[in-house]
Amino acid sequence: MADTRTVMAGDRILAYATLAPSAFLLLLLAGVPTITVFLTAMQDVSMGDTSGPFIGLENFVWALAEPAFLTALWNTFVWVFGSVAIEMMLGLGLALLLNRNFMFRGAARAVILAPYLVPTVVAVLTWRYMLHDIVGIVNAALIGTGIIDGPLLWLNSRSLAMVSVIMVGVWKFFPFVVIAILGILQSIPQEQYEAAKIDGASSFQQFWRITLPYVMPVFLLTALLRTIWSFNKFEIIYLMTGGGPLDATTTLPVLVYLKAFADFEFGRAAAIAILTLAILCVLLAIYFFFIKRAEARQ
Amino acid sequence: MARVEIRQISKIFTDHTAVSNVSLTVNDGEFLVLLGPSGCGKSTLLRMIAGLELPTYGDVFIGERQATRLQPKDRNIAMVFQNYALYPHLTVYENIAFPLRVRGSDKVATDKKVRWAAELVGLTRMLQRKPRQMSGGERQRTALARSLVRDPDVFLLDEPLSNLDAKLRNSAREDLRQFQDRIGVTSIYVTHDQVEAMGLGDRIVVMQAGSVRQVGTPEEIYLHPADTFVATFMGSPPMNLVKTGGVTLGFRPENFLPKANFSENVPVTNITFNVHRMEYLGGDRLLYGNVLGNMPETPAIARIPSSVQYTPVLGTEVIFAVANSELRRFDSETGKAIASTGNVMPRRTVNG
Repeated sequence: MADTRTVMAGDRILAYATLAPSAFLLLLLAGVPTITVFLTAMQDVSMGDTSGPFIGLENFVWALAEPAFLTALWNTFVWVFGSVAIEMMLGLGLALLLNRNFMFRGAARAVILAPYLVPTVVAVLTWRYMLHDIVGIVNAALIGTGIIDGPLLWLNSRSLAMVSVIMVGVWKFFPFVVIAILGILQSIPQEQYEAAKIDGASSFQQFWRITLPYVMPVFLLTALLRTIWSFNKFEIIYLMTGGGPLDATTTLPVLVYLKAFADFEFGRAAAIAILTLAILCVLLAIYFFFIKRAEARQ
Repeated sequence: MARVEIRQISKIFTDHTAVSNVSLTVNDGEFLVLLGPSGCGKSTLLRMIAGLELPTYGDVFIGERQATRLQPKDRNIAMVFQNYALYPHLTVYENIAFPLRVRGSDKVATDKKVRWAAELVGLTRMLQRKPRQMSGGERQRTALARSLVRDPDVFLLDEPLSNLDAKLRNSAREDLRQFQDRIGVTSIYVTHDQVEAMGLGDRIVVMQAGSVRQVGTPEEIYLHPADTFVATFMGSPPMNLVKTGGVTLGFRPENFLPKANFSENVPVTNITFNVHRMEYLGGDRLLYGNVLGNMPETPAIARIPSSVQYTPVLGTEVIFAVANSELRRFDSETGKAIASTGNVMPRRTVNG
């Protein structure tokens, strides 16, 4: 017995010893910054005085009353739900199309992945050229075909900037949705459709009663992931518009960046970051509720 | 209810011929079994009857209707798939109701029909379950009930018992046959299992490599195989074949007994048998050995019931015999049965 215990104790020490480096790194890279953000959010930190005095929740109170924060919150919702909704619909439609048999299906599947593989910086710069009001190909094409009379300010008008950013975001990320849904579509047994055909189900009924129930859990999960990622998306918006014109495309992550590194108000930036996290958590809770319900119905 | 007629049907896929010029008639209310090794084209034939595949040549008639190009739903057929193809997200009740719902049947009529079908297959207590909460046998019965609710003219069954374990398969086979007798619907049943085919079929269609080798009752097929393929495919162990010049002799292991077991007045053919090995199977003993003497040396098997008193001595030549009435003759070149005089039963062969 004593021997066994000694051996087990030895094992335990070895286990902790081998875990220690990873635990240390995790603490250093995730734990410390998180704690720092919370501490910073409760301080009045500004340039030149990083030791700033503790001011409790004042930064949060400020943020919730600040019009820039509320605008950014609204912009974030428009950006997230606008792009996720379009991505999901487009992704589902294209996945259904690519699941059918046609010539060059393999090639089409490869091509549709391309936007996802292009580095964001390259994609954004290309789109900025294409959407340029004077030299851009988009305006040239629309004017050439007579759809519009004069150039549209895709990135420089308050009304169109968000539309343009969502358009580029959708273009960049819908392939992810296509891949996820195509995967589940291909796992549906063919006999299900054959049985339904014999039972007399129309194409629409086959979609509604077989395809959709199979796809739903993956569809919801993909929507969840896309929501999280879009919510935190920074570089695509910042590179496209820098959050402008005025604050038309300033979402919460962009606002955090601007507060911290343009206005050098680190305390307030940290408070906004934490509020962003809190809002995202609430959203996730709602999503999980729906996913659980959908799974229960399976 | 309807008869099904298949006229000179062929299915050619890009790289191979799955079904080659098959003609068949399934009588009204008959239980017909399509039997053959895997890849023989039996499932493709069934799928052409269902309308899931379009024949390359030939026609399908269901009832008096030309059905070759009809959509599956317009043929008034029902099909039970090998893996049952139940809808996993629907309850048993909704699975059975599905064919009625998609046809827009009203609630009361649907409910009545679903309960009738569930009652018939003994699923009344499980209507609220999901398929994954059920055993293989219960799923199979659900699939059966689903195929019933539309009062189909023809039942198509694609190896519906092959996903069940051996014990369950026996009882399911019994259930299936009783059920068909009660409903009396024309049924076409695909299997590779000869026990299922013999036990279930009014008639059996033996297929190989896309062609029909023989059509007949289980007795006809077993006792009078149309060629050496059918002779060796049916029966376990298979029929012994001994090639003697232009004629190949065939005899079933259970008819191949020591000479002493035949009475004097039965005309027999004597065959010298040298036993190498014996297998004791309880009810029977299988003797593995070679026939020789006046015949070319050929491996053969004898099956001797345990009730017959006989102790084989391994490695010695013994005189065995087969009653002449049980001896079959095949053309060594073509493998086709040579009509023996007198006791040939009428049989239908198609396509050779």
